[in-house]
Amino acid sequence: MNLFDSLAVSGSALSAERQRSEIIAANLANAETTHTSAGGPFHRREVVFQSAGASPFHLALASTTNANTPPSGSVSVSEVVDDPTPPVMRYEPSNPDANQDGYVAYPAINPAMEMVDLMGSVRAYQLNASAIAAAKQMIQQTIDILKS
Amino acid sequence: MSSAISSLGSIGNIGDLPKLSSMQPPSGDDEGFSGALKSALQQVNVLDSGADQQVGTLLKGGNTDMSSVMIAVEKADVAFQLMMQVRNKIVNAYQDIEKMQF
Amino acid sequence: MTSTTPPLIPTLESYLKLTQSREQAISSNMANVDTPGYHTQDINFQGELNKAIAGTLTESEYNGTAHLNPVVRDVPGLLERPDGNNVNLDREGLMMSETQLQYQIGIQLIKREFHQMLSAINGGGQS
Repeated sequence: MNLFDSLAVSGSALSAERQRSEIIAANLANAETTHTSAGGPFHRREVVFQSAGASPFHLALASTTNANTPPSGSVSVSEVVDDPTPPVMRYEPSNPDANQDGYVAYPAINPAMEMVDLMGSVRAYQLNASAIAAAKQMIQQTIDILKS
Repeated sequence: MSSAISSLGSIGNIGDLPKLSSMQPPSGDDEGFSGALKSALQQVNVLDSGADQQVGTLLKGGNTDMSSVMIAVEKADVAFQLMMQVRNKIVNAYQDIEKMQF
Repeated sequence: MTSTTPPLIPTLESYLKLTQSREQAISSNMANVDTPGYHTQDINFQGELNKAIAGTLTESEYNGTAHLNPVVRDVPGLLERPDGNNVNLDREGLMMSETQLQYQIGIQLIKREFHQMLSAINGGGQS
């Protein structure tokens, strides 16, 4: 229960948000990819966040077991899921990826939505970076008690 | 007359009174210089060992918060300085008494 | 030298520790702004501080703040978004600034207390 724990929590958020923005960037980059190595169009992917031990029971448990458990409140990406939305079909008979009806399957990615998600991710990243700066300042001041 | 002389002799019977050598110095816990120094020393001891314990826990990464550790260290430091000043005063007072001429 | 006013340094110690706990809760809230189902956490600062001050009147001051364990609970009355998350970024940012300043106040007051004691010990008795 100290300030270093809150540094770890904010650090975990930075890491999770960075992963999220990477996934979003991949979605944006592949918005028009109709052919992947796995066959078929690119699938939009999403991250799922999970909070570590926010319940008091977890708190009590973590304090008695080893010190390697992440502090209560830290965030992690629990899984990366594929969006089950069916792909968007566009009529392009000249495209080599067209099926027998002449339709090409494009990924169901809306760049505007991805941009909004990206902005949210960036804002959360900034917020947690300022939280780290605040915690660092508090630790610095604590050390200052002994100075002079 | 003989009763007066014999009463003089009874003065020699001071075996009832405790001997000078076995007399204890006044055990004033909170009086006098030695009492003040002793209590200051005890306080320093307690605070110092408490601070050492907390610093040890902090260094091992245990469940302690930094501000408590810093404050405990500072308290021990202040108590130590208080004890040093008390000791200085006692030494000065002793030297002053030594300089007294009779 | 008995006194019924709470001793200042143990009170300040509890104050600092509670401010730290609050800062931890706020960090956790900020980290989980995108976690589905997460609810904003906080401590009842005033209540815990009063409890701590009452405790320091009876306990020895050598114990430090080891006995202090503030209860973290959900903050009521916040708007919940569709994914179950009710963290309000503006509230957390404001709380963070407030907590930082509170901590600074506590540290400065404690430093001042110690300085006063030290100057009384060292500088005063030059007779």
